[in-house]
Amino acid sequence: MILQVENPVVEVHDLTVSYDRKPVLWGIDLTLPAGSLVGVIGPNGAGKSTLVKAMMDLLPTGSGYVRIFGQPINEVRKRISYVPQRESVDWDFPASVFDVVLMGRYGKLGLFSRPRKADKDAAMEALEKVGMESFAKRQISQLSGGQQQRVFLARALAQNADIYFMDEPFAGVDIATETAIIELLRIMREQGKTVIVVHHDLQSAAEYFDWVVLLNMRLVASGPTELALTQELLEQTYGGKLTVLSKVGDLLRKQEFPSREVKS
Amino acid sequence: MEAFLEFFSFADANVRYVTIGSVLLAASSAVVGCFTYLRKRALVGDAVAHAVLPGVCLAFILSGTKNPFILLIGAFITGWLSLICIDFITSRSRIKEDTAIGLVLSVFFGIGILLLTAIQHSGNAAQSGLDKFLFGKAASLVGEDLIAFSVVAVVLLVSTIVFYKELTLLCFDQAYARTIGFPVRALELLLTTLTVFAVVVGIQAVGVVLMAAMLITPAAAARFWTDRLPVMLVLAALMGAFSGIAGAFVSYTAPAMPTGPWIVLIISMIAILSFALAPGKGWVARIIRQRRNRTLVLEENLLKLLYHLGEQKQAYTATHSLHDLLQRRAIPEKQAKAGLHKLRSQGYVTKSREGWQLTTQGQRRGQRVVRLHRLWELYLTQYLHLASDHVHEDAETIEHIITPELEQKLMEELSFPVLDPHSSRIP
Repeated sequence: MILQVENPVVEVHDLTVSYDRKPVLWGIDLTLPAGSLVGVIGPNGAGKSTLVKAMMDLLPTGSGYVRIFGQPINEVRKRISYVPQRESVDWDFPASVFDVVLMGRYGKLGLFSRPRKADKDAAMEALEKVGMESFAKRQISQLSGGQQQRVFLARALAQNADIYFMDEPFAGVDIATETAIIELLRIMREQGKTVIVVHHDLQSAAEYFDWVVLLNMRLVASGPTELALTQELLEQTYGGKLTVLSKVGDLLRKQEFPSREVKS
Repeated sequence: MEAFLEFFSFADANVRYVTIGSVLLAASSAVVGCFTYLRKRALVGDAVAHAVLPGVCLAFILSGTKNPFILLIGAFITGWLSLICIDFITSRSRIKEDTAIGLVLSVFFGIGILLLTAIQHSGNAAQSGLDKFLFGKAASLVGEDLIAFSVVAVVLLVSTIVFYKELTLLCFDQAYARTIGFPVRALELLLTTLTVFAVVVGIQAVGVVLMAAMLITPAAAARFWTDRLPVMLVLAALMGAFSGIAGAFVSYTAPAMPTGPWIVLIISMIAILSFALAPGKGWVARIIRQRRNRTLVLEENLLKLLYHLGEQKQAYTATHSLHDLLQRRAIPEKQAKAGLHKLRSQGYVTKSREGWQLTTQGQRRGQRVVRLHRLWELYLTQYLHLASDHVHEDAETIEHIITPELEQKLMEELSFPVLDPHSSRIP
């Protein structure tokens, strides 16, 4: 069940990504519709984060390409926003909540220029949207997991982008934060933004997303939630690894084989 | 003392130059070091510092002069080369970064020492003084050297200010920096170049062996005092500058002394003092906090004790002898006395010939502790399903830390209870 759409915001074509020569994503081919809340779902080690990172060109890809708004990502950096996994940074960094949210404005500012008053206003507004304005001066190491996630979200909001990539924003947060975040995501969708969320909880997936991408080293399904989130497809996604596929991957690594023939 | 006055009157032009030079060198490497430290690349600085030596020696062999610019260029080249080697080894083999750093550091330093020894035995008269690069000699920072090194130091300081925003984001969240279109590779290159430059200019004062300390120690010490990066940068620069002056002083008054070890010892002393004295995180602050907690527990226990005794007789302001108190609860007599006297000075108890008596305020506070104790016992039995004979010990500590807001919340969640699990009334 892999549904392609007309005029996609994101187009992934024949994407293969390897770590240390072992492919973790095989030939992904998908398109995502504008203005939707997309859930990327799959078991641990399925390559969900890898897919999002590859879409953002944070990882070297073995083959294929990604187009966002029909263009290579480097052309549209100002229109996209990324919420990395909370654990990806050291929260003991000497910065306040406000400092981190202000970083969301750096892309628009470009190099050399300092944040202006308007940027500070935008950062404060973003903090208000996630309900953290009273924490603006707080040192980031004093935040709880849910609060850290909100700060990251506020930083992304301050960017005022058109498409958002979020890596596990619901991992290890409290119920209140989870509700607040999903509420925000819905508002963003209503404003016509596209939000792509890496998610691992099947229970809430049907309720949260209107488009799902099922992933387990290869693309199992991509389509509207009611069509793609079926028993059968979920079983394909979670029903054990494809042993042959991962064995072949191991071989590629051991023999130091390229995943594609090098064109001469 | 005389030397001290002579030095710090700055009457001697030489002293002025040496001081300015040392301050600039130490401060600029401290500022750059802050970013290296925050990127967790402290060891890389050490590798570069050692790898600079063969460059200095080679530049001397090839040019035959000790012109600081030429030596700087040589140092810069091998410093850079060492970083490329580390990168190459980690990306092309299974060797992890720490091992690669160890390998590169020792190989480069080994070659450096080899060349240095060869130069020293070559009979070339111009070579004298080249060994100051090993352990540093701040006092030799005069003339051309001073100008060359100071220019680089100023460039370093200015670059970190100009690229403050970019470097901060690079250190905090590199992946994010890439997604917003920052040229992360170029910025990494910039930070590496700044680090190499900081090392190259710093070795004049400290020497290659101990240069890493000048990069990292001020940053680590400054981090203890503040949670704000701009403050941290300024503090690190000041600490670096102070040790720089001290090093220059030693180098001036005792020319036989190697400056580097002195500077490093002084900055290390500052770091140790920071670990000890920093507010909140330091040892002293923690000891004070623990002592304060102990006093609080003792005082509240005494008030609770008096309240319990009063509860039995239904006469809360009755007088009780110290003997009665200690029979009810085993508190060392000396501590109990000290605690009671403290409570008296605070107005919670009064003392008469018969013994001790609660004041109205003391009764209130004692009552609150007893209430919190019983509330917590009830909470544990209701919400954690603990047996009622297991909850007392827990409540003994928790009763001292519950805030008024939490107390209110507890009351609500337990719907304003009257009796605790042992059927004692909650006052």
